[in-house]
Amino acid sequence: MNPLISAALVALGLPAALALLLAVVPKLRRTGKPAALLSILGSLLALSAAGWLAATWLHDPKQVLDLTTSWLPQSGKSMSQVGVHLDGISVSMLLVVAIVASCVQLFSLGYLSDEPAPALGRYYAYQSLFLFSMNLLVLAPDLMQLFLGWELVGATSYLLIGFWFTRPAAGKAALKAFVVTKFADSGLILALITLVAWTGSFSWNATLPAGGAEWLALFLFIAVMGKSAQFPLHIWLPDAMQGPTPVSALLHAATMVAAGVYLIVRADPIFAAAPHVRLFMTDLGAITALFAALIAMVQTDIKKVLAYSTCSQLGYMISGLGAGSLMGGYFHLTTHAFFKALLFLAAGAVIHAVHSNELSDMGGLWRKLKFTTVAFVIGSLSLAGLPGLSGFYSKDLILEAVHESGNPLALGLLMATAGLTAFYMTRTVVKAFFGKPSHAAEHAHGPGPSMTIPLLILLVPAIGLGWLAGPMSKLYGRSYAFHLDTIGMVTIALGLGGIALGWLIYGMGLLQALPRAFAPIARIANGSTVDDLWALSYSKLGMGLARAIAWFDRYIIDGLMNFLGWLFMWSGQRVRTLQTGNVQDYLYAVFGAAALIALWGGWR
Amino acid sequence: MNFHDLQPMALGVLLAAAAALVLLTDLFTKPSTKPNLGWLTFGLLSAVLVASFTLDLRGEVASHVWRGGAWPVFLARLFLVAGLITVLGGMDHIARKWTYRQGEFYTVLLLCLTGMVLLPGARDLVLLIVCFELMGIPLYILTAFAKTDSGPKPVEAALKLFLIGAGSTALTVFGAALLAGLAGTTDMSVLVSSTLSPLQGIGTMLLLAGLAFKIGVAPFHMWVPDTYEGAPTPVVAFLSVAPKVGGFATLVMVLWQALPRLIHVWGPVTLVLCALTLTVGNLGAIAQRNIKRLLAYSGVGQVGYVLLGLLSGREFGVAMMLFYLAAYVVTNLGVFLVAHAVAEAGDGETISSFDGLGRRSPWLAMSLLLFLLSLAGIPFVAGFWAKFFVFVAAWRAGQSEMVLVGALFATVALFYYLGVARAAYVNVSAKTEKIVVSRALAGAIIACLLAVVGLGAWPSPVVEAAMAAARSVSGIGP
Repeated sequence: MNPLISAALVALGLPAALALLLAVVPKLRRTGKPAALLSILGSLLALSAAGWLAATWLHDPKQVLDLTTSWLPQSGKSMSQVGVHLDGISVSMLLVVAIVASCVQLFSLGYLSDEPAPALGRYYAYQSLFLFSMNLLVLAPDLMQLFLGWELVGATSYLLIGFWFTRPAAGKAALKAFVVTKFADSGLILALITLVAWTGSFSWNATLPAGGAEWLALFLFIAVMGKSAQFPLHIWLPDAMQGPTPVSALLHAATMVAAGVYLIVRADPIFAAAPHVRLFMTDLGAITALFAALIAMVQTDIKKVLAYSTCSQLGYMISGLGAGSLMGGYFHLTTHAFFKALLFLAAGAVIHAVHSNELSDMGGLWRKLKFTTVAFVIGSLSLAGLPGLSGFYSKDLILEAVHESGNPLALGLLMATAGLTAFYMTRTVVKAFFGKPSHAAEHAHGPGPSMTIPLLILLVPAIGLGWLAGPMSKLYGRSYAFHLDTIGMVTIALGLGGIALGWLIYGMGLLQALPRAFAPIARIANGSTVDDLWALSYSKLGMGLARAIAWFDRYIIDGLMNFLGWLFMWSGQRVRTLQTGNVQDYLYAVFGAAALIALWGGWR
Repeated sequence: MNFHDLQPMALGVLLAAAAALVLLTDLFTKPSTKPNLGWLTFGLLSAVLVASFTLDLRGEVASHVWRGGAWPVFLARLFLVAGLITVLGGMDHIARKWTYRQGEFYTVLLLCLTGMVLLPGARDLVLLIVCFELMGIPLYILTAFAKTDSGPKPVEAALKLFLIGAGSTALTVFGAALLAGLAGTTDMSVLVSSTLSPLQGIGTMLLLAGLAFKIGVAPFHMWVPDTYEGAPTPVVAFLSVAPKVGGFATLVMVLWQALPRLIHVWGPVTLVLCALTLTVGNLGAIAQRNIKRLLAYSGVGQVGYVLLGLLSGREFGVAMMLFYLAAYVVTNLGVFLVAHAVAEAGDGETISSFDGLGRRSPWLAMSLLLFLLSLAGIPFVAGFWAKFFVFVAAWRAGQSEMVLVGALFATVALFYYLGVARAAYVNVSAKTEKIVVSRALAGAIIACLLAVVGLGAWPSPVVEAAMAAARSVSGIGP
């Protein structure tokens, strides 16, 4: 076997084996620390395999390697291929997942040090399972295996969000994430159905009937809206912050929510033939970006700021992919994975220090947590799009693409978002790390080495990945050289303006009228309007319909039946009938319906 | 005709012989050894299942009246699996509650299975109806088995099934009589002549109405919740799967085999009934508090999906319908047996009786969860492929709207299925003691569990078998 394929199988199989081991050997799992170290070792080995693969592919980006076996054989030919598919796209994603997963697993060791040993073991079993599921998704040779990974990732995320299952809010959030993404997943199932009905296989390169690509792309995009938290299906993501913070870094920033974007990248041949869906993506992505950024401005919980910011950045990626820039969307996925994981882990270090998510319990933390402050600030600057840092390059690519696609509305929304992003991140940085220290902040303690090392590792790509955009672009089969034009300069100006405004308001206490103007946004955000709308349409409407049917059944049908009953009773009064509930009514229904369809039969 | 000519229908003959054997054994058994009757039945059924693999079951009996081949064999195996799991899961309950009547129970069950196994091969209307009634009448007896229990519910359940069943049989026979009278023959292969008369349409519809009762298609479903609630759970488990398989096999024979030329009559009606069944079943289940009533409505909803496969028709649709039924048999038996285990422990039959099951009996709760996920069509358990394949068949047949409706109701169904799972895993209960499950019942649940997971991981063998079975029925080729 090709050693490269073996490396991919290690990255795929090792986490699976570890998850299985921890699941079936409770003794090992309940030891806690050793189980954790085993899982971390597994993720590091997967990381080295992924690193070697990525190095090989950077050297020779055009290589494609497959090792597949047929699944679901049907009438001689096979519907689905399972195995590993290695090309520039899957290899780069594999590396991103491996880096972030290793950092998060290492970080969790310090973050969850207070957990009892059995819970820690359980956590690492879930982590290994997640790494396997994600790699299964990434290495998928066709849509069916991708779906398999997609569902496993969803199920694992349910377990991880609900990790603290004794908290009712965590259980509720986990259920919500499950139901919302499940609802969206019907799109993916529809896509699988139509794909196999039309082409007989699950390959995304198959030739589709005329107009088929639009339907297929639409179905796929519905699933993406759920997984990648696009408006109005984004509602589960902020609630998912009930999980441990490293989980948020891994699932809700770097990998799982990016799976939707990855799906679009993989199914590029389908989306390329669907201009209408692409236009919809561009617009919806831009709307999500702005909407989430507006809500992020008024959040008081540091994780919720980052959660809405993730929604917003995913909107960027979707918009860029909609504008036809595979490079822009995918590269932003990559840079965002690193700087957002960095931000979440730094936020985790802060939460660990002050035992609270609330920004008001922080403040002035830079004195106690110097390194964490540096990490968080650099992550924020990268997110805000400061030139030279990785986020700037990927965001610039997307804006250029949206500009070139001739969509001024989406471009305007995204540019506004760029300014807002800089503003709300400055607000967060100032509130958490500068200003007057709160009571809790004065007793804050710094993170240990297992928490600082991951931050240090993630700092490298968060700063420098932008410079690698050229070689990375070859992995996606594109080419790229950076050049600064008007759009880029306006974005820089907006970013700097946002930072300056944020500093003026929250750092120096000027222009206090402005934050008060955000009050309506806060009302919308905290009143969870979108959630209410969903609750109304989803449960109330469903229940309403059920009640309406019950009412119809009780009054109209029963009324009709009673009339018929009276009719029959009247004619056959002498006949004593068996009084068993209302079985007569049932019989009338059976004979009535039979008579009705018999009439139809005779007429036809 | 000598005995050898009956070889294609050997499974039916063997089952009838088994029924006689169990009845005779019962006569000469002391009450203390009667519990062994369950194992005897189990062994006999296993032997018949083995025979279905070793005997040559191809060919015809009495010129065209009964035909063997892959189609009746596939269905026979489904019936036998359902029978085996029911006997295994129910034998302790039966032995405890009806110690002196066990022989009757198993004899009647075996006779019911005889009718089922003979049903799919029938190529003659009269034989078809005889087989159908041989399947149906024992079911009336089985549902009435708990007549000595306190309260009116068991009697009510059986009586409702019987009364409506009798009415439906009248419809079936009347419809069949019209068709046979017009054609001048009862041979199903020449039932429809070149000249179509309105009476043929009426006959077809009456036949359809009568069959729709047995499989619980709305609006012929009203007996289902009442009967399920009142009848003994092991019987309900069997009732909820096997007769449905039989009903659908009959529908394929009647609609696709005998009356394909009348598709303009029965096609639209079946489509409307399918949509109605999906709606009534899935919405009806939402508000239920009794687990058996919930499963009754859920079963009605499931029938909607099977109907969709039937409608999509021809070879692929019918094959996918068969696969759906196979997945449904093991899943639904599993979920009823878990409910039975919980009820046996004295915890009642409401959904809240599952509270805290995840902590009390983790394995039982895990099985319940997997069965519920399979019913809901979540990847990757048997039920997912079942829904998936039926949807693919429907899409290929141009029923894309019905696929969307079906997918929508699959999401609705998630609510009530997860509601039960939620009770088991999220709700807390004052009770903490483990639920004691007898060995035989545990074995039956594990068998269902293995089948559900196995079909989820590797559906191909059963899919292939279903394709072969559908292909072997002449007249439904593409």
